[in-house]
Amino acid sequence: MPQPPTEPSKSAPTPGLVAGPMPRIHRGWRVFFFYSETMLLTGLVSLLFADLLWRTGWDTSSTILLLLFIILFLLTAVGLMHAVCGFVLRIMGDPRGITHLNDYRSRSIAGTSTAIVFPIYNEQVARVYEGLRAAYESLEKTGEIERFDFFILSDSTNPDKWIEEERRWLGLIRDLDALGRIYYRHRFNNEGKKSGNIRDFLNTWGRRYRYFIVFDADSLMSGDTVVDLVKLMEANPQVGLIQTVPALVNAESLFGRMQQFANRLYAPIFITGLNFWTEGFGNYWGHNAIIRSEPFMQCCDLPHLPGIKPFGGQILSHDFVEAALLLKENWQVWFAYDLEGSYEEAPQGIIENAQRDRRWCQGNLQHGIVLFARGLRGISRIHLLLGIFGYLASPLWLLFLLTFNATLYFKMHTGLSEITVRGRTPFMTLNGPEHAFLIFLICMTVLFLPKVLALLDLVLHPARRRAFGGLRHAAAGAVAETFFSTLHAPLQMLWHSKFVATILLGIGVQWGPQKRTADGIAWLAAVQAHWQHTVIGLGWGALVWWIDPRTFWWFAPVVAGMILSIPLSVFTSRGSWGARARAAGLFRTPEELSPPPELAAVASRMAALEKAGETVPAAPNSGLAEAVLDPYVNAIHVSLLREKGINPENQDSLAAMGVGQPRVRVLGEKLLAEGPEALRANEQLLVLSDAETMSWLHRQVWLRPGESLAAWWQTFIRQYAR
Amino acid sequence: MDLPLESALSGREPVPEATGRIAGRPLEEWNAAYSKVESYFHALRVRNKVLLGRLVIQVLNRAMRRAPAEPERPAAHLAAEEMDRVVTEWFGQVLQEPPTGADHMLSTRGRLALLLADMPGKWQDQFLQPGPWPEEFVNRMRETYLRAGPDFQLSKMAPRPLDLLEPLTTLTAISRLPYARMIAIWVLFALVLVAVFLLTHKF
Repeated sequence: MPQPPTEPSKSAPTPGLVAGPMPRIHRGWRVFFFYSETMLLTGLVSLLFADLLWRTGWDTSSTILLLLFIILFLLTAVGLMHAVCGFVLRIMGDPRGITHLNDYRSRSIAGTSTAIVFPIYNEQVARVYEGLRAAYESLEKTGEIERFDFFILSDSTNPDKWIEEERRWLGLIRDLDALGRIYYRHRFNNEGKKSGNIRDFLNTWGRRYRYFIVFDADSLMSGDTVVDLVKLMEANPQVGLIQTVPALVNAESLFGRMQQFANRLYAPIFITGLNFWTEGFGNYWGHNAIIRSEPFMQCCDLPHLPGIKPFGGQILSHDFVEAALLLKENWQVWFAYDLEGSYEEAPQGIIENAQRDRRWCQGNLQHGIVLFARGLRGISRIHLLLGIFGYLASPLWLLFLLTFNATLYFKMHTGLSEITVRGRTPFMTLNGPEHAFLIFLICMTVLFLPKVLALLDLVLHPARRRAFGGLRHAAAGAVAETFFSTLHAPLQMLWHSKFVATILLGIGVQWGPQKRTADGIAWLAAVQAHWQHTVIGLGWGALVWWIDPRTFWWFAPVVAGMILSIPLSVFTSRGSWGARARAAGLFRTPEELSPPPELAAVASRMAALEKAGETVPAAPNSGLAEAVLDPYVNAIHVSLLREKGINPENQDSLAAMGVGQPRVRVLGEKLLAEGPEALRANEQLLVLSDAETMSWLHRQVWLRPGESLAAWWQTFIRQYAR
Repeated sequence: MDLPLESALSGREPVPEATGRIAGRPLEEWNAAYSKVESYFHALRVRNKVLLGRLVIQVLNRAMRRAPAEPERPAAHLAAEEMDRVVTEWFGQVLQEPPTGADHMLSTRGRLALLLADMPGKWQDQFLQPGPWPEEFVNRMRETYLRAGPDFQLSKMAPRPLDLLEPLTTLTAISRLPYARMIAIWVLFALVLVAVFLLTHKF
């Protein structure tokens, strides 16, 4: 058998691996300025709120309300300050962006080697591969494809997905003539999940590549952006990681399109503001980022945390921690916030969004332990803290509202006058309701000013305004999105509160299978997911009405979101509603109105595959049938298994699984005689992992008389007769 | 296998010895055998009907020659064995690797070579034909291999334990707290606000 030629190592890894000291010149005052402004605003408004509480008589609940108000307002003010700083910097220009530090575009990337990795886990294979194909073709057009290798790093545990991945991989490399440029690797176990998957890649091939770029299953980057990232790394040898800011794309449902629109409209000012205080101390979001391999391999293998779940064990949200570890070792981490051509997709419905939040919530709460790790930089701790409070804010808001209700109930039923004394807030002579209304107005301003600033940013940038289809449409979209997010926020509050509580109590959350219709989530599935929200909304609304009908109207937006959660979830998940909004000119984004070639290519190919029925989920166990029966799929599978067996890293895993033992042949006999239902999932995986048995099965299933095979095999064999 | 491949592929049609039977077996048995062999060639994407029919008949001829000597075995089973043998022997000739019988490697490699050389698209007429074969076809068959990854450059990432006891350290060395001066200023500001509130409000 011919042996594949041995390849020369593509290039030496990063020269000069020791990072220099981090510059402190700008960073210190920027962090101080940013958070001092936030503190100032929070302090003054909190003083005003404390004065209001004092007017109605101070008690324990007032102290609780004040503390909760300070925390919640501080978090909102942080958001506002990001928007304000970003807005101002987008007018004035910020020389402290990674793309402005030097003339990176003139750099050559000759002599570099970069791996583009796609860690996947039971994903929709066609979509992943079409994204890869689009990125590959786009990179080819840059003329720099020789500097890149693509890796599909599969952790799929579903045998059908595994086989489909292998089959489509071969189709892809044949289509693109990319044998030896697009590689496929499947792990026998998914130890360490995504971070373990990347670690396995780095342990096997990491030293061949100076950089690696991580894609997500649904992400995409243009060839120019990929090349720009490598040039940026070459031009800035002290940088360990550059994170792009992916634009949300390809949404069709109303919910997805609103999220996409909000992301595209608001993100630029927020991320510019974020870069203002982080500079080279940015963060990593897990994908659409370029990483310098060598320092990452040296610094970022994550330890298991001591203790039991939810805080102990494997670090779930690895990205923040990896960025923190790079910074700890003096490698810079930047946001390339002004680099276009980076995309990802988002959940298409409220329920899918909550499911994703559940995963992220657990990972972020776990950072509560990492927060205190010795040696981390202060800025890393801020990143971790903001991530934690992204989820903790919800139970705090819920607690604030409940405490307020309890206080109101107490005051309404004591018979005491509502406003006991005049306020002492200097320079203001407001009565109680005016005082309360002023605080309400300030809170609303802090909440909604970023949206106004984002629209003003459009006014000031004509090209961007045109890309959104004009100011009128963008403004209408922002108003509609604000209305929706007002209803959605209380749902998020309930969901996040439940997530935090269940995670802290160590209780898992069960999600039933998503029953989707052709056009969004089914009504029954929405009822199952939201009935508690509806009941809480009705009960809470009735309670507040009973306590004080005047206060009810202040609470109306909160309970309305809960009461309407079922129809809200159903209708916003519908593609037809998304299309109607689009026809009305709402929520249009630059990528929708003028799709970049990469996105257009993915969309047209996915449409073609859909038309050909290639995206319909296959029948259960069809992957196993294909791997055994189909002469080519079997040959690909067995060849890949054999090659995998060569890697000494895999030999222990194979032995631990039981590959090569006589038991596997027994399972193979059982599979032939009784069909796949006779084998447990792990037994099926064991058979699929044994090259000799798979090769033997292929011959046996075609050699043996039909009556000695399970009827299940006959069904599949008959399909080949056509 | 007692017959050379070439002779098997160009062998004469066996003569039916009785009505309703071929090589001592009922026609239905041969029909089932035909279906099985045809299915396998379908699975190999031999889509040209003329070539497909010819290949199936060639395999069945071999099975029919064996049939009288093995009366207890169903025709479909004999045909499947002959199909496997014909294909594996042909792989051995094209790839210049002798079949070893127990090892399934040759069959696997041959099927992969067929796919990578694009037999279904470009070389259907060469499949199972005796040599010599077109040079391009032979080269493509012999030189194809599947690489799931480049050469390994193994290394070992080693996790560095995180020291999670920082709070104890910082409690005893507050000046080492990150941004200590900034935090001190913010705390001072908060204290001023508290003082202002307490001084202007009577409890």
